[in-house]
This record gives sequence, structure tokens and C-alpha cells, in this order.
Amino acid sequence: MNFFIQIIVSGLTFGAMYALAAVGLALVWGAFNMLNMAHGIIMTLGAYFVLVWAEGWGLPLWFAGPFAFIAGGVFGAAVYFTSAHWMLKQRNFEITIIIATFGLGMALESGLMKILREWFHVSPYAQPLSMGADSFLIGDVPVSYQRIIIWAVAVVLIVLVGLFLTRTTMGRAIRATAQNRDAARLMGVKVKRVYVIVLALASALAGVAGIMLTSFKDVVPLMGQTPMLKAFIVIVLAGLGNMTGALYAALLIGMVEAAVKVLFADKWGFLAMLIVVVVAIIWRPAGLFGKRQVARQ
Amino acid sequence: MAEPLLSVQNLFAGYEGQSVLKDVSFDVPEGGLITLLGPNGHGKTTLLRCIAGLLKPNGGQIHFAGRRIEGAEAETVVGLGVVLIPQGDMLFPDMSVYDNLKMGAYLPRVRRTFEQEVEKIYEILPRLKERTTQLARTLSGGERRMLAIGRGLLAGGRILMIDEPSLGLAPIVIDQIYEIIIDLKASGRTILLVEENASRIIDLADRIHLLDTGQIVWAGDGEELHNNQQILETYLGG
Repeated sequence: MNFFIQIIVSGLTFGAMYALAAVGLALVWGAFNMLNMAHGIIMTLGAYFVLVWAEGWGLPLWFAGPFAFIAGGVFGAAVYFTSAHWMLKQRNFEITIIIATFGLGMALESGLMKILREWFHVSPYAQPLSMGADSFLIGDVPVSYQRIIIWAVAVVLIVLVGLFLTRTTMGRAIRATAQNRDAARLMGVKVKRVYVIVLALASALAGVAGIMLTSFKDVVPLMGQTPMLKAFIVIVLAGLGNMTGALYAALLIGMVEAAVKVLFADKWGFLAMLIVVVVAIIWRPAGLFGKRQVARQ
Repeated sequence: MAEPLLSVQNLFAGYEGQSVLKDVSFDVPEGGLITLLGPNGHGKTTLLRCIAGLLKPNGGQIHFAGRRIEGAEAETVVGLGVVLIPQGDMLFPDMSVYDNLKMGAYLPRVRRTFEQEVEKIYEILPRLKERTTQLARTLSGGERRMLAIGRGLLAGGRILMIDEPSLGLAPIVIDQIYEIIIDLKASGRTILLVEENASRIIDLADRIHLLDTGQIVWAGDGEELHNNQQILETYLGG
């Protein structure tokens, strides 16, 4: 029974984090077939924003979330204007944008490393998130308040994104662009503005996901890599561009990872996750929730 | 003579080095119903895509209400008042009928009046009202066409370009669609209509342009077309 609770608790935590990271990736892919390989560094930056905010400037942690959200969004827009904006007309945009953002991510990572080593002589930072470190018991399993905060923040943000997409004019324009780009343009939607907004929103969510990472990882420049990879796995498993599917897939992946970590050992978690995905993709090539075959016309 | 609302001059266009339109010129006067007639694959849709801004022409000029619009982005062109109801409807499949209509009124000039305007659309196209919450992907072919027309009407442009309104529909549905077009003409809307089927437009159009292998090979009104056996037989199979 304790095993079970333990799996649920950490599965939900992983799931919430992957969901935040993956929803953004799915949104960006849906809007303009861009896989943003700089997503990971933006999560990392989110974590560093908190460090600077809380330890550097001594400001309250409660407001670090909105700060990381906004800073992530600004970086997302910057990613757009330093890569995608100039490449939209390319015939192989889907491929070249991966390479471009991969390079951009690497440049940001090594830049960050250089700044930290040469200016501050520090790296890595130990977990900075002291808020909500106390815990209570479910059965015999301690659950920290931090985890409750993570779940609550993830749920609130995802609900807000959902409301934004379904209830606002800009949200409708984003969905329209994802479903038929030329038709959206014929309605007067400025699609380039949609791309910037979508990338900024996805990166804002990534910034917040980065804060969550700091609750169980040291803050280092490469910390966003593995979570980004897992977020990619989530959206492929869900079916590219399917946002609701990405939420379920994130929870599923989180649970599988947690189950293997609890029942076997930490190191098998990622492997088990990959096996689940490979089997799922062979079984359903369009993803678990994909309606169409994902293939280039 | 008054300046035409839309004027296409010496237009050349194509895809990837393959030329589709060769030196096409024609005018659409305010309040007129002008048709482009011709078999499929001869550049009619390409021409509308050029005017709407979805395709950049390789040469020539397009004037709309005194402005040059060739090469402008589609989102800009529609803002000026050129509305395209595209071939294949190009709906938003995973959005409801209502949300599709709402996208039609996306531009600021029509967004505020959407709630009143959509009621008028429901009067013209009552089927849409029965289906408001249904996803566009679940509609029948005729309903899809009606949704595309309703969505285009809500954009409130100065010229309505309709690409093959009868394509792939049952005759009874085509009748319904053409009744709507006749009403639109009667209400003074400027319409540029692309059609493959001469019989549907011969008595309706103010002027007919026959497009063959990317060139306008004949132009005149319906009566002249009636009387021109040679054109009818050569291009329209009698």
C-alpha cells in the first residue's frame, strides 16, 4: 500500500512537470510544425531566474513563479526572432528549425556555463527551493507541501492555458492557425504574431517547469536536457500537436517512471519509459491520441 | 467610366517554375458579378489564390480599390476587404460550427457586430443554426460549403470571391447554394465567381471570362456565350 501511495505521489509530481513542459511543445508544434530544441535551456533558465530572484536579490519566493513565467516568455519570443522568423519560408522548415534551435540551445547553455564559471565561480547550485519543504504523511509516506504546490501550479496553469485557447479571440486564432494555416490567414489572422505568442507562452510554461525541477535537482546549466527529452517523448507518445493527449501522456509517463523508480531502482526509470514509448509507437504510429497518421504529405 | 473595384493586369503566376497563369487581365466593377469559367486545372484557383495573397504572382499587377495588392500577405488583403471562399472549404475541422463562424468575423471591423450578423447568417443558412455546437469535421459536404460561405460572408468584405461553389455537391444542394449567390447579387454585393459549369452562371453573370491553359481566351456576357457555338463546343463541350 505504501508503495502504491509513493508511486502515485511521485508519479503525479513528475507528470505535472512533464505536462507543463510538454503542453508548450505540443502547442508550438501544432501552430507551426516547429520542434523547439531550445525548450530545455529555457527550463534551465527558469531555475536560474529563481536563484537570482531569491538568493541574488532576496525577493520572496512566492513571486518567483510569475517572474520565471515572464522571463521565460521573453526568451521564447527571442528564440522566435533569432531562428524561426527567418526560416518560415524554407521548404524543410520542420528539419532546419530543429537544427537551428538545437544550436541556439547549445550556445545559450555554454554561454550560461561560461558566465557562471568565470564571473561567479559557482556551479552547481544546491536545490534553492526551500519553500514548502515541510511534509505531512499519507499512510506512512511523507508528502511535502512543495509537491502540493507543484501540482496546484501545474493544474492552474494548464487550466488557464485551456481557457485562453478556447475562450479568447487570440486563443481561437491560435487553434485556427493550427488546424488550417491558410484558412486562418484568409480570416485575417496575422500568423507570425500567432507564432511569437505561442512560442512565448510555451517558454513561459517551460520557465515555471524549470522552477519545479529545482525541487529535486541541483541547478546546473544542463539540467533542462533530460526533462526536455522526456517532454518530447510525451508529445510523440500523445501524437504530435495533440494537447489534451499530451496531458494524459505526461501523467502516464510520470507514473511509469515513478513505478519503476519505486519498485526497482532509479536508474531503470528512463529505460522503462523508453520501452513503453517504443511499444506504444509500434502499436499506434500516430501516437496514443493521434487521430491522423503523422506523415509529411 | 468609374474605376473598377478590382483590376487584374497582365498577371503571371505558377508553382515551382511551372507557369500556370499567362498574361491574365480582367476587371471586376463595383456591384458586378464576374465569372471565370473553364475546366479544372487551368488556373482558376491559382488566380484567386494570387488575388487573395496566398500565392505571390511572378509578374503583373492587381489593383483593389485604388491600391496595389499583388504580393501582399493574405492577412493584409482580407483586411482591405477582399474575401475568398476557398475551394475545398478550408474549414477549421476541430472547431465547432459557431467557432468557425466566429473566426469569419475575426477582423476588428466585424468582430463587434458578430452577434447580430451571425443571426442574419442563420436566416440565410438555417442548417448552420441547427449545427452550431457540432464540430466542422462532422458536417456533410453541402453543410461544409454552407459553413464556408457563412464564414466568408461574416468577414464583411467589399468583394466576395467564391471558388467552385458547386464542386462535389448534389444538384439539389447546388440549387440552394446558387439561390444564395443570386440573393447576394441582388443585394448589391460584388462577386467574383469561379465555376466549371457554364449552365449555372450563363444567365447570372454580368460578364464571363473563359480561362483555358492559363489564359483568358474569350470574354463576354451570357447572351454572347449562348450565341457563340464555336466557343461552347471547343471549351465547354457543347
